[in-house]
Amino acid sequence: MLFQPPKPVSMTLNLAPMVDVMMCLIIFFLLASKLVDAQHHPLNLPYAQTAVEVERGELGRRVVINVRPSEDDPRRAEYIVEAWDGQNITERRLPTTEIVDYLRAGADRAREAGAGLRCVIRADQEVSYEQVEIVLRGCGLAKIAKVVFSARVGEEPEGES
Amino acid sequence: MRRGLPEPAGERIPNLAPMVDVIMVILVFFLLGASLELAAEGALQTELDPRSGPGEGAPVEIIPAVKIALEERGDGRVNIYVLGKRLPGDSFDDLHAFMTRRRDAGADTANPVVIAAQSGVRWRWVVRAMDVSIRAGFTNVQFAVSLAHEPGGDTPGGNHE
Repeated sequence: MLFQPPKPVSMTLNLAPMVDVMMCLIIFFLLASKLVDAQHHPLNLPYAQTAVEVERGELGRRVVINVRPSEDDPRRAEYIVEAWDGQNITERRLPTTEIVDYLRAGADRAREAGAGLRCVIRADQEVSYEQVEIVLRGCGLAKIAKVVFSARVGEEPEGES
Repeated sequence: MRRGLPEPAGERIPNLAPMVDVIMVILVFFLLGASLELAAEGALQTELDPRSGPGEGAPVEIIPAVKIALEERGDGRVNIYVLGKRLPGDSFDDLHAFMTRRRDAGADTANPVVIAAQSGVRWRWVVRAMDVSIRAGFTNVQFAVSLAHEPGGDTPGGNHE
């Protein structure tokens, strides 16, 4: 019997399923980062040792108002909120005269849904109290009692103040 | 000259390895970016007293366990008043010591601590005062807001709760 060595075969790893899965993950992260963008607007938040990290879901129904110094005039503040443009969640600058109406509309929607509403105030540490007070006053007028202030967890590093 | 036969039609698999490399890098970027952005933010929660504030009803004055007033200083820092008296050194460590003594002396920690800040006081100091109060065990932190919005018209302790 004549011995014949086996013919060499080329092995190729089929990467197509892996690419499919990774594409799905990338699309998920792209969409998710778009959704959380308005709620995690980059701000220089103040530090607080007693601040606790909470999952967004734990806060329940909420309206988020970002307060940041205006780029044109740092003494003034801009109020950034989420807005739905029909296709995407985007950000919109809210004039101070519309803050109360915005909060009232959110509170009314929550009442219709039979749920409570929280107001999450994400204020830059450099804005003045007067500018945050506008939102607090709006919460009072809209009868929103539960207020959450966003902060960085921990002690303020030396020299930052 | 002998012409070669055409190559038999076989399965051709494109090389997906470079694509996988690129997708992996993008995926790692999103993973790191998402976790860094989401993990660092904490929350300070409070519940505003529904009887007080700028609602439709007549304003109700809250008698606080401690009233902390923050007065704007020219250098960006604040003068701290507790129960109407200036805190020597205007230090938040001293404020914490005062609040702790107050708690140890039997003050009801469920009673409201009211923070009244001048309109120009930076938000970081208001959050610091709130943080100190919570660290000392006082959980019910309220904020004084002026009923009519008059920028620059507030004085420490002169706001309405």
